[in-house]
Amino acid sequence: MSAAPDRPDGCGPTGAVVVPCPVVEVRRFADWSLVWIEAPAVARAARPGQFVMLAVPGAAFALRRPLSLHRVHGDRVALLIERRGEGTRRLAELEAGAEIELSGPLGNGFDIATTCSALLVAGGIGVAPLQFLADELRARRIPVWTFVGLRGKRQLPLLTVLDLPRQTVATEDGERGIHGTVIEALDASPAAAEAVEKGAEVFGCGPLPMLVALRDWASMHHLIGYGSLEAHMACGTGACHGCVVATTRGYLRVCADGPVLPLQVIGERTLAARGTP
Amino acid sequence: MTGGPDLRVRLGALELAHPIINASGTYDVLAVAGHGPSTVPFSCYVPKTVTLEPRTGNPPPRITETPSGIINAIGLENPGIEAFIADLPRLAGLRIPVIISVGGARPADYLAVVRRMEERLAAAGAGRSPAIAGYELNVSCPNVAAGGLSIGADPEALRQLVSAARPLTARLLIAKLTPNVTDIVAPARAAAEAGADAISLVNTFKALVLDPVSLRPFLGNRTGGLCGPAIRPIALRMVAEVAMSVDVPLIGMGGVTSGLEALEMIACGATAVAVGAATLADPRAPARILEQLSAELAARSLAGLDDVRGTALRDS
Repeated sequence: MSAAPDRPDGCGPTGAVVVPCPVVEVRRFADWSLVWIEAPAVARAARPGQFVMLAVPGAAFALRRPLSLHRVHGDRVALLIERRGEGTRRLAELEAGAEIELSGPLGNGFDIATTCSALLVAGGIGVAPLQFLADELRARRIPVWTFVGLRGKRQLPLLTVLDLPRQTVATEDGERGIHGTVIEALDASPAAAEAVEKGAEVFGCGPLPMLVALRDWASMHHLIGYGSLEAHMACGTGACHGCVVATTRGYLRVCADGPVLPLQVIGERTLAARGTP
Repeated sequence: MTGGPDLRVRLGALELAHPIINASGTYDVLAVAGHGPSTVPFSCYVPKTVTLEPRTGNPPPRITETPSGIINAIGLENPGIEAFIADLPRLAGLRIPVIISVGGARPADYLAVVRRMEERLAAAGAGRSPAIAGYELNVSCPNVAAGGLSIGADPEALRQLVSAARPLTARLLIAKLTPNVTDIVAPARAAAEAGADAISLVNTFKALVLDPVSLRPFLGNRTGGLCGPAIRPIALRMVAEVAMSVDVPLIGMGGVTSGLEALEMIACGATAVAVGAATLADPRAPARILEQLSAELAARSLAGLDDVRGTALRDS
């Protein structure tokens, strides 16, 4: 890092390269949109767990929105967008043929170089990056068990876009699958027992309370685990120190130190400071 | 820029290639994941505020979007002056002058940071370093419990701090003002009279956003500082007021996102224009603002920025 390297065109001081990319397909369903974007450079470099920053279309002034990569096929990447506020609503309303500005892939992603078997645990929209992870693990012929926890009936449509190996569903209202939280489903399911038996690595994504419970569950079963976190972000590249979460290692930036962190570093302080919007 | 308008500006003894610099605190170039210092489109780099001791910063959440703006409460997270000094060779890669933003819980802390930097720069064989052009005293952070805003909002305290810092360095000494005051001219005048070479304004506006579900303060620090286009007309008014009252050059900032808006700051008396929120919303903003500024001058057949500076302040 001795000299200033010339950055490619479109690169700003925060290190993010902004590339305009065509939206090629949009599937809208209930509260979500599955958006496919032609982004060859992102698709080539992407690893499961990484994210992209998207410019909000039509907004006069808006921070870019971080969205994890949901799937990657050839030159295309898919994002699973849940309408939450004004920014995600505008993104979810993207039409095929539109152009969207995108930076990425950003963040560290899941390390699966030495993974022999994997237990994937999702809470709600947290399933988004785990689909990409499952695809990647399946391509490597690594045994995978997946658990998807949903709040209830309203979130069931999410299941229609998923293609997860050995999938167990849990709903808190008992509408589908095991009645209870996803952690209660892990306790109740023979599939989880099988994953524990195999010493599977645990990969989780979901609300912080779920990740904290998953940390305790993994630790009780002597399993190594990782969680992907979310936070309100500004730069997305580590420059602004805005998206930190409290961990046992101090404040870590979700965008640059994460979004994937070992479950053990997610502490009670992480939860207390409610890093999840 | 050959043949185009002359964008060079002068802040005291410091000549800058153009007026667009970064607002301190909005990005930490050395912390960018997986990247070295990139070729930044700024004429000068102002790192995040450095304090005597390391600071871990405020609890999260620290930042979120607001209508036409951003609210943040980072809390001056920084590794402290010794770690900052150790990292100086990495900043040399930027190849542009660096203005060090200095913070502290009390006046003595600010002075200790300036003293320590001067010692380091004077030391023979101190190693590679960027060109340290000067210091910006951040007496205006709304997100720390002690120091910061409390000095900037008190003209007498600011006068004493600038007077005490002045003999410590021959480099550029800048005071960065808070807009959280009734009269922005009083602290500006105090800083200029005490020997500041330039004045930066404005820092962020102390503000509050609630979590829509819990109806509790959203930020971990409860309150934060508001920046972005939402504050630009107020910042512009404050720059104009200060420009009419003091003779030192001004670094104007507050929600600038385009070349025209940078030109407006200059028309209100600013010499340089700092960009912060715009860079967070679009990493390409600084380069675009600079291009647009040049185009604005050309479109108005103006040879340089001196022809624009302060024109908004004239009676006719």
